[in-house]
This record gives sequence, C-alpha cells and structure tokens, in this order.
Amino acid sequence: MHVLLVEDEKSLHQEVRQFLTQAQYLVDSAYTYAEASEKLYVNSYDFVLLDLGLPGGDGLELLRDARRSEKQEASFIILTARGALDDRIKGLDLGADDYLPKPFSLLELTSRMQAITRRKFGLKRPEITFGEGFVMDVTARTVRHGSTPEVPGPEVPLTKKEFDLLHYLLLHRGRVLTRLQLGEHLWGNVLEDDSDSNYIDVHIKNVRKKLAQFGSADFIETVRGIGYRAV
Amino acid sequence: MRLETKLGLFNGLSKLLLVLLGALLIPPIVQRVAVGHTDQRLRDKKEELLHLINRDGLAAFLRAEKSESYADYNILKQEYITITPLPEHAAGAAGADRVGQPTERIFEERRQVDKEVEDFRILSYVAPLAPTPAAAGGVAARRYRLEIGSSLATVELLTDTLRRLALWVLVAGALITVFTDAAFAHYLLRPLRELISRKLRGIRQPGEFSFARLDTDTTDFRRLDDSLSALMRQLQTSFEKEREFMSNVSHELLTPTSILQSRFENMLQDPTLPEPHAQQIVESQRTLYRLRNTVRTLLLIANIENEQYLRDASVSLTQTVHDVAEELDDRRQQREIDLHVDLSPDYSVPRANATLLHTLLRNLLSNAIKYNHENGQIRVLGRPTPTGGYELRVEDQGPGIAAENLPLLFDRFRRFHATGPKAPEGYGLGLPIAQTIATFHKATLRAESVVGQGTAFVLDFEAAG
Repeated sequence: MHVLLVEDEKSLHQEVRQFLTQAQYLVDSAYTYAEASEKLYVNSYDFVLLDLGLPGGDGLELLRDARRSEKQEASFIILTARGALDDRIKGLDLGADDYLPKPFSLLELTSRMQAITRRKFGLKRPEITFGEGFVMDVTARTVRHGSTPEVPGPEVPLTKKEFDLLHYLLLHRGRVLTRLQLGEHLWGNVLEDDSDSNYIDVHIKNVRKKLAQFGSADFIETVRGIGYRAV
Repeated sequence: MRLETKLGLFNGLSKLLLVLLGALLIPPIVQRVAVGHTDQRLRDKKEELLHLINRDGLAAFLRAEKSESYADYNILKQEYITITPLPEHAAGAAGADRVGQPTERIFEERRQVDKEVEDFRILSYVAPLAPTPAAAGGVAARRYRLEIGSSLATVELLTDTLRRLALWVLVAGALITVFTDAAFAHYLLRPLRELISRKLRGIRQPGEFSFARLDTDTTDFRRLDDSLSALMRQLQTSFEKEREFMSNVSHELLTPTSILQSRFENMLQDPTLPEPHAQQIVESQRTLYRLRNTVRTLLLIANIENEQYLRDASVSLTQTVHDVAEELDDRRQQREIDLHVDLSPDYSVPRANATLLHTLLRNLLSNAIKYNHENGQIRVLGRPTPTGGYELRVEDQGPGIAAENLPLLFDRFRRFHATGPKAPEGYGLGLPIAQTIATFHKATLRAESVVGQGTAFVLDFEAAG
C-alpha cells in the first residue's frame, strides 16, 4: 500500500510515518502544498493523508484537483485541527473518503484505512480466523466456533459492542491497545472528561467468558497496567 | 407601551383637557362679552337719542305739554326707550349739588312693555334736558330720565348661540388635531419602527444585522441608526476575531497534542519497553486525553456560541433518545439500570441541529447512568407545557446534588465535592456543553435534585413560532 502523507508539522509527520511504516505501509512524504501537488501529479497512491492547513495553499484545493484528474484513484483521508464543521462538509463533498479531526489515534487511522480498503476492493473473504477454531465473519457480524466448509459451527452470542471490541483487537493483532484507545473506538470521539476504562474491563471479561464456553480465550492477553492485546 | 401609543394617548388626553377647560371658561367669557356688547349698544343708542333730542328738541318726543313720559318700543318688544320727566323736588332731594350733573346707570330689571313682563338690561340716564333746541340756553332745563332697555332674552339667545358655536369649534378642532397629530406621529416614527422590527427584532446574532441605511431625515433616528450600525460592526469584528482566535488556539493546542498522542502510541508498541515505563506512558496518555477533551470542549462551546453550526433540521426527540439509549445500552446494562422512556406525544425540535441534540441528550443520559446507583432506574419523560412548549425530563436515582451546588453545575470547569464517600466528584464538562446546546436551540436546561433520592435534568423548549 502506497501512502502519501501530507503534513507540515514535522514531529507529527515523523510519528505518523513511523507508525505506518511499522504497519507495512510504504510512506511518501510531503510537507508543503507545492510538494504534495507535484507528488500527486507524478505518482499514484492508494492513500493520501491530507492535512488542510498547509504552507502555500489550502489542502482542500489538492483534493479538488486530484478528483478532477482521472488517473489519481487514491483514497483521501483528511486530517485537520481546524475541526470546523464547514471543512468537514466541504471535504466530504469534494470526495474525501474519511475525515479525522486532530488529535487522532494512529490505531484509529489505520483501522479507517483498512475499512476503506475493504470497501474499495470488496474483499471476498471478510473473515478472520483466530484462537483455536474461531472464525469472525465481518460482514455478517458473527463469530462461530469449529466451522467446517460444509457445516457452520455454533455462534458465539456476542453483543454489538463486544463484537466491535473483539474485531478491533483482532485488526491490530500483536499490538497493545490501551483502554483509552479501545474506549475511543467503541464510543467514538465523544467528549468525556474521564474515560471510564472500567466499562472496557467488563466488556473484555464478558467476551472472554462467552468465548471460553467454546474454546480457549487465551489469545486475549492482559498487559498489566496498560491494556489488552490479541495474539 | 409603544412610543407611538404613548404619544397618541398623551395627545388625546391633553386635547380632552383643553375641551373641558373650554367648556368651563367659555360660558362666563361669552356672557361677559355679550353683556359688554349690549351695554355698548345701549350707550350708543343713548348718544344717538341725545343727539336727536339736541337737534329736534325734547318736545318732538313728548306727546303733550302735560309733562307726560315718552315711550317707544320695537315691534317684538326687544328694545324700548322711555323719557320720563322727573319732579323737581325729587331732584332736590337727590342732592342740590348734583342737579346739573347727568347720571348714568346700567342694571337689570323687570319691566312691563305693552302687556308683557320681561327681564331687561336697562341703561338709565338722568339729565336736565331743554324742551326745545331754542330754549336750551335760557330756560332752566328740567330733568328727565332716559331709559333704554334691551330684552335679556335677546342677550341670552345671543350668548347661547355664541357659547354653542365656540364649543363646537373647540371640539371639532380638538378632534381634528388629535387625528392629524396621531397620523403625523405615525409617519415620523416609521423609521424607528423599522429599526426595531427589521434591524433588531429579526436577528439572533450580529452576523444577521442589516447595514442598509435607514430611510429617514430625522437627525435623531439617523444618529441612532448610525451608532447602532457602528456598534454592530464593532461586534462583528470582535466576533470575527474571536472566531479567528479560537481557530488559532485550536490549531496551536491540538497539533502538539496530536504529536504527543502519536508519539505515546508509537512508544507503547516497542516490545522492549519496560513495564513501569509503559505504565507511565499510559498515565501520560490519560492526562493528554483530558487535555484534549478540555480543548475540544472549549472549541465546541465557542463554535456553538459563534453560530458555527447549522440549524436546518427538524429533529424528533423520541428518535434521538432512542439512538442515544442504544449507544449507551452496554453501559446501562453493566450497571443493571432500568431505562423507562415515555415521550407522549413525541416532539420534533424545529430548526435544530441533529448532531448537537444527540450530544446534548447523550451527556444527560450518560450522566444519569454514571451517577445512578446500581439496579437504579432512569426515567425520560416528555410532556407538552401549558404554554405550548415542551418539557423533557431525564431523572436518575443517584445520590442527588446538594442545593448549594445546583447553581454551580453548569459552570464551566467548576467542580464541587459532593457529600458521601461514593458520590461523584463532579459533573465535569458535559453539562456546560449541554447547556450551550440547549441555548442554541432556544431551550433552557435546569436541574432539580433531592439529596438521597435523585436528580432530574429538565429541558424546556419554548413554544415554536
């Protein structure tokens, strides 16, 4: 996956770049309007992560230009600290695929990128296998255990939030996710003065209990003092 | 009361007073004028008569040489003239020194003329008169009494007519001026009305103010309009500056926050990170999270107050409550709290912003879950108010809020310490946001609470229209 990161703030640029590189993305960098414009003209990308406030021009212009040219098929995700409603509407009207207000979680960014990829290519098998014989069907939103190609196994009765939680852990397999990150994903960017991480613990406990009735739920690890990780 | 009504009322009252005063003063004045006029006429007649006597001699008037009196009256007996010779001794009794002096008196008395008795205004003139013009010099003149009378009925008729006429003129004049004054005031005050209705009442925020100049040549209104426009311009400029400031602040604060957040996330992915450090990073992340939410809250409130959100939808409260309830379902169930929603009938908030209303209700419901006791109940009740508005109550069965803390609830960043060991330390930023959103929708948000029984947050939407 080829990504163009357009962000003038150097430190943030470095952090995002590092994270995406770790997640096996190929990252190209642009720090100014002119650089971005040139790179978009020359190369083709799968993703453009676009900051709106750029030296030398408005990021929305880049989006408008790219949407006019036929060869650029990149998916645009707008990253901005402006956070104004106008920008959001304008951005989505111009054909941005998603919009993340700063500050955003890098995990959330990669999740959105995965979601866009799935949408774009209509992945044939939206299935994730995990643990001992568990299969998650992302489209049908079910988790089954012990399915064979002929006979589907019994369904693990997960609630919507429990399913989302498990899905998020599996999407970022091998990474430690803090309660904050999980909470933010489950309840969105809702303004709450303190994160009630307790709710996450209860959800994890319930997911484990439900999975344990079918097989070992050991693949969800508790990382003491930090959060959870699916392996 | 409007200025125009006040002016009209004052005008009418003052005219009424004028008419009353006229009704009070005109009769005596007219009376006096009429009497004065009559007296003057009587004197004129006397002069005329004396002139005739001087020319023709008294004899021409006296019917015989028998010292008889002369009397004449006009046909309708409105006026009469008599010349009566006075006895000598009577004159002597009257006073020898005054014998040569003519005396004149005007008085009112009844007189019988022909066969009728009537009230007359009478001029009585006593003077020595020569019988003939020739004798004027030599013969000692005899004294006569001249009486000229004018019927009082005539005088009164005149007075009456005059009085009535004067009153009618007064009333008619008053009425006409009342109406013309009102019409003129209406015309004069038109710019003021326009100023109020078009420029002031019709706008909700300075941005909507119309700078079109008021069409008037009244200096006061011109000045009022100009200073109003100047003030509004100033207000708009400062609004603009505030908006710019908020935008800059958001950028300047959120960008570093963003950098830190990304850095922490990257650090946490390092497999060689020792556990104590990882925990410190998680703690830092929590602090950062609080900072971020504080900045965002400020921004949200500023943006709402700056009218940066659209109000272009009609939003059903039932639908919004259900959406929010579903979103918070897992939290509620984890604490085994029962939710009872009863909006009868449903209410659609006109000219609303769906996202903001969602946030408002989410904050209220999330508080009701957070500050409830386990196995408690939440009731969401919606009822129309007698005044045509709508009231939405979100009631919990939590520990309640002490009365002295209630006014602090909606203060930004004000926290208070509730009584009781398990009581929450404060409602944080959710309520100031909720209140700002309520105000944005022309609604009010207040709290009612009984310590130990629970708290109700009440949203009052004002009548549409």
